[in-house]
Amino acid sequence: MGAKGLKALIVEQGGKNADPVLDPDTFKASAKILAKIITEDPFSGSMLPNLGTAALVAPVNSLGAFPSINATQGVFEGWEKISAEAMAEIQKARGGQMKHTGCSQCIVHCSNEYLDANGKYLTGSLEYETIWAMGGMTGIDHFDTIARLDFLCDDIGVDTMSTGVGIAVAMDSGYKAFGDQSAAIEMVEELARGTTFGNILGQGPAAVGEHFNNSRVPVVKNQSIAAYDPRAMIGNGISYATSPMGGDHTAGNLVGAYLGQVLNPLEKPGQVEMSRELQYFNAGADNMGMCLMVYASLNSPEARDAFLGVINGFLGPERAVADLSVLGRQIIDAEREFNRNAGLTNKDDRLPKFFYEEPLPPHNTVFPFSGEEIDKTFDF
Amino acid sequence: MRVMKLSVKIYGTLQQQVPGYQHSKGIEVELADGATARDLLTRLKISDKQMAVIVMDGQILKENDAMREGAPIHLLQPVSGG
Repeated sequence: MGAKGLKALIVEQGGKNADPVLDPDTFKASAKILAKIITEDPFSGSMLPNLGTAALVAPVNSLGAFPSINATQGVFEGWEKISAEAMAEIQKARGGQMKHTGCSQCIVHCSNEYLDANGKYLTGSLEYETIWAMGGMTGIDHFDTIARLDFLCDDIGVDTMSTGVGIAVAMDSGYKAFGDQSAAIEMVEELARGTTFGNILGQGPAAVGEHFNNSRVPVVKNQSIAAYDPRAMIGNGISYATSPMGGDHTAGNLVGAYLGQVLNPLEKPGQVEMSRELQYFNAGADNMGMCLMVYASLNSPEARDAFLGVINGFLGPERAVADLSVLGRQIIDAEREFNRNAGLTNKDDRLPKFFYEEPLPPHNTVFPFSGEEIDKTFDF
Repeated sequence: MRVMKLSVKIYGTLQQQVPGYQHSKGIEVELADGATARDLLTRLKISDKQMAVIVMDGQILKENDAMREGAPIHLLQPVSGG
């Protein structure tokens, strides 16, 4: 849409009242049960309000899956300095907020407000994926610099993940040194100034790789992967490869299945099926406007029934949803058809070559799935 | 019986479960040689409800897996994608 100069879409509902809740009793009773489940879940009820999404820095590094220095290492040497636990200590001393109502009416409060050394607001919310892209990938282990880079991206209006990974690719190409904090800030400021390099960085990591003739660019369908290396959390590689959106961490993220010991992150059995299951469920749940952060608490039949109760209490029996995964499958089928019509084929459902060729320390493994195996994700 | 000293670092809100825990130092726990992941959770009084995860050498330990002296041990909580 941006390429066509479109600035906004306005949807007018055609009346003064919001859509009516067709079955208020079911809606309220189910919402009450769902809210209790979400607030009692250890992740959405305790971890997120205390530490935010940055709480992922420790587990993903502990499992050797934190793509660092442009995805050449699975454990970032300075990760303890950019962990949620470190942020909490820094912000406690400065009077910052680790728990903050980022979204209206939210019951999770995963947001934060990051203050600088003088106690002045620097950015918020500082999230896991930003800490990874601007920290681990670029070799920067200084929280205030990462926070400054986050602020700049928000201010300019660009994505922190694509921008951070673009900086990492530039560093990997020898343009600047990994860990050079002022160079990273300068690169993002160039975006705003519209310099030659700034314009390239603004087009994302694939454009940066093309400019420097560097094929070590961690993207799928030109979108950056996320903070889970597909050589150490191999099911996430399946999701990056097959998601119609490209290397997306919200489409079907298996990290919860690994830490919940449902699957071994390095072994193939079950990964394709789990990626498919999550991609279908997430597409259905996303469509309802629900936040990804609470999906982990929706695993039990009781939780899923309550969630459907909220949806169907709102929609009423005529438009009732029976199964979110069935709905999600319809959505993904439509997205795949859109991609096919746009000229994408199964050859675009592949990871960059280096993930198959360069073993990632400390496990020293490569991405193990063939193209044929990847294609079975949705053609099963 | 030989005793082994384990260096444990605790992450997430589990830190609040262990009185006096200081993250910069971690915690040293003495257990009998061959002690399992389950033994460590019992010693630290971390209940099953917390669903704690123990990682050693980049691998998640099952509850009956033995721990090794000298290996850094991370005590984590289950998290989902963010």
